[in-house]
Amino acid sequence: MAIPTADEKLAMIKVEPADDDELRCVDSLKPGDYEVGFERTNNILDEAMEIFVRSSRSMMGIAGDSMVALFTAKGDLANASCGTYLHAIIQPILIKFILNSYQENPGIKEGDIWFTNDALYGGIHNPDEVVLMPVFYQGELIAWTGAAVHTTETGASEPGGMPINATSRFMEGLNCPPTKIGENYVIREDFVETMSAFGIRAPQMLVIDLKARATSAHRSLKRIIELAEERGRDYVVGLFRKMLIVAEEGARKRISSWPDGKYTCVNFGDGVGFEVGLVRNSHMTLEKKDDSITLDFSGTSPENPYSYNAHVQAAVGHVANYVYEYVFHDLPISSATFSPIDFIFPPGSCLNPDARAATSCSVMIATGIMSGVHNVFGKMMFSTNNMWRQSCASQGNAGNAMVVAGLSQWNLPFADMLAYSLNSEGQGGRPEMDGVNAFGFPWCVYGRTPDIEEMENDLPLFIPLSNHWKDSCGHGKYRGGVGTVQIWVTHHVPYVFFMAISDNSKMQTPQPLFGGYAPCTVPGLSISNADLMEQMKEGNGLSLELFPMLKDKSIGGEWQNEFFGRATRPVNQNDVITFGFATGGAGYGDPLEREPELVIQDIKDQIISDWSAQNVYKAQYDPETLRLDPEGTEAARQEERQNRIQQAKPYDEFEQDWLKEKMDESLLAFYGTWPDAEVVAPPFRP
Amino acid sequence: MGRKIIITEYLEMDIDEGQWHCSTCGKMLIEAETNYKKGCLVNSRDPREIHNPVFEAEYNFAPDPDWVRIIEFYCPECGTQIETEYLPLGHPITHDIEIDVSSLKARLDSGELAIVDKRLEVQS
Repeated sequence: MAIPTADEKLAMIKVEPADDDELRCVDSLKPGDYEVGFERTNNILDEAMEIFVRSSRSMMGIAGDSMVALFTAKGDLANASCGTYLHAIIQPILIKFILNSYQENPGIKEGDIWFTNDALYGGIHNPDEVVLMPVFYQGELIAWTGAAVHTTETGASEPGGMPINATSRFMEGLNCPPTKIGENYVIREDFVETMSAFGIRAPQMLVIDLKARATSAHRSLKRIIELAEERGRDYVVGLFRKMLIVAEEGARKRISSWPDGKYTCVNFGDGVGFEVGLVRNSHMTLEKKDDSITLDFSGTSPENPYSYNAHVQAAVGHVANYVYEYVFHDLPISSATFSPIDFIFPPGSCLNPDARAATSCSVMIATGIMSGVHNVFGKMMFSTNNMWRQSCASQGNAGNAMVVAGLSQWNLPFADMLAYSLNSEGQGGRPEMDGVNAFGFPWCVYGRTPDIEEMENDLPLFIPLSNHWKDSCGHGKYRGGVGTVQIWVTHHVPYVFFMAISDNSKMQTPQPLFGGYAPCTVPGLSISNADLMEQMKEGNGLSLELFPMLKDKSIGGEWQNEFFGRATRPVNQNDVITFGFATGGAGYGDPLEREPELVIQDIKDQIISDWSAQNVYKAQYDPETLRLDPEGTEAARQEERQNRIQQAKPYDEFEQDWLKEKMDESLLAFYGTWPDAEVVAPPFRP
Repeated sequence: MGRKIIITEYLEMDIDEGQWHCSTCGKMLIEAETNYKKGCLVNSRDPREIHNPVFEAEYNFAPDPDWVRIIEFYCPECGTQIETEYLPLGHPITHDIEIDVSSLKARLDSGELAIVDKRLEVQS
């Protein structure tokens, strides 16, 4: 089988039809068998996930950016434990590719260990590496198990596995199509050495993470064989197929309860690679009819010459995050929940690029999808009694991924993406409450934020500030949760290398919901020749409160103010590598409707500033005592509503003027034609 | 007055009259088959009015007004901010909600769906 096409990969996401034997096994299940068996698989997976997190070496693995999963013999996802839902979509494609391609040579046998990290064949991006193992019982293939985790080094043109200077897949380091890397439950040493070679920057991380995947997949496999020995082969086959049936029936029933129609959201990014420029990273139209949904991404910007492209299944994975978290949260984590959903990705767009395209930052271009999906589903579901509370504004979705690399204080080579600023973003505002502050990692809601001491012990960093980031939330009747801010200082070693992968410095990707506002933008800040450590040694009372520090530049040295995404550079000992920002969530509803008492509480909690309380929420209070003036607040808000009416124009009049405006042409190099974002010329890739 | 359904935090649809209404004040905005935004007043805001820049620099905590504006849609009667959209300068406004009104009405009339507390509910 050749490299699968986009259409073939989308088809492989769909569940394979049940055969007579599977249906017979489903029929043989007795009352209660499904419920008990489903919970048994949850326990098996939770055990494997615990082993996975404890065995992983990379920061992302320790944080839990991973998935362990169970599949039918045909490769469909029956249940999983997270980690991240991204991998729910990709693993069936990878298994089906193996089944379609390698039955004869090299063959699929008991004890096999298969590996891949190649997005061209069905992955998310090449740092996301997957181990898959076939489960044989009495000589028959009855299931598969899988373990996937993001390892933050691939031997690419820059450290950290997500090079922003890569202009084709040939600069992305290891891209390994599905390959048998072990037999008889043993990983081949020659492949371990291959991983070590691609991981020269951090060999211990690649090798240990590889073994962690195999260990975790094997634990699930062992438990499934025990289940088959205990309850019989037919029980396992029937249980797994029943999970698919229940998931698809549940999904279709829920979808059919919503109003038919079209729901659209448009999202933008402000850079690709290390270049600043506008992209329409998602133009999403959800069309719902009966019990089916089509998500059409026509109008999304063309593929770009950098690594900010996503193959189609990676794009679907970013829909899966939201769908499994909010919409089908109570159904099995099964690929069958996606059976009612079809996708349209125009060829040549950044969500369906050429085979040669770099896609290691697929997770960055897909922030538009992750944000827009909140809005289209939210606007579809809000009219229904069963789901309106799930209509949540988008998380920050900035994914401010920052990499440090070099030689650690333990004299070990390392290259790692630090999970803290990824895993402490704010949740979006919700119909009855604010988003959670520093709720987690939008790509991996179960991932944990590492302890500061753990970061400082593992890496040559000193982190004197770690706090909620005031005003980072999108404001609203229910505001988004705020994100966090840290300061990273090179410590114990002469220098480290640093790079940052992100955008949201000129404009933000998330759109707010129902009259709220988006989160704030993110500057790239660092200080060379910094006197921070000297000031702390002297104990002169240096304040690390964020806003005064930035206004007064109370840390001496040469401050750099840049786009947040930054190419690799060395940073000397004691210098401020960066301010690590994790973005807040988008706001929900008109801020003038926010309970004034909640505004005061937010000031007290240092979640918002006086500036925001007065300018956005129009709260009236004594700034010294924070005593609220309810009547004054209501009067100020009523005055603001009247100002709105006086300053605004009727739609047609506004649109006539608005459409005459346009950004500077130089900022539209990656956008495509204006305003439709059609392909101008495909990128040149030798 | 016909049967009303909550569609967003600040919008209701009168399914019988076929009209969008502001749910805060009840103002009739425009036909249900039309983009509700066309029944609103519209304003373009400099993002620095909403996002505190905090410090002077090319990159701070406020979006760049040379890139983006906040487009706000208000009820023309009560001034409630019904929706907002962050758009690059001159980018077309999104038609975000296009409910198939005739399908919805047919499902309600057939008894498949009912309106409970102004929201849709499947009748089993």
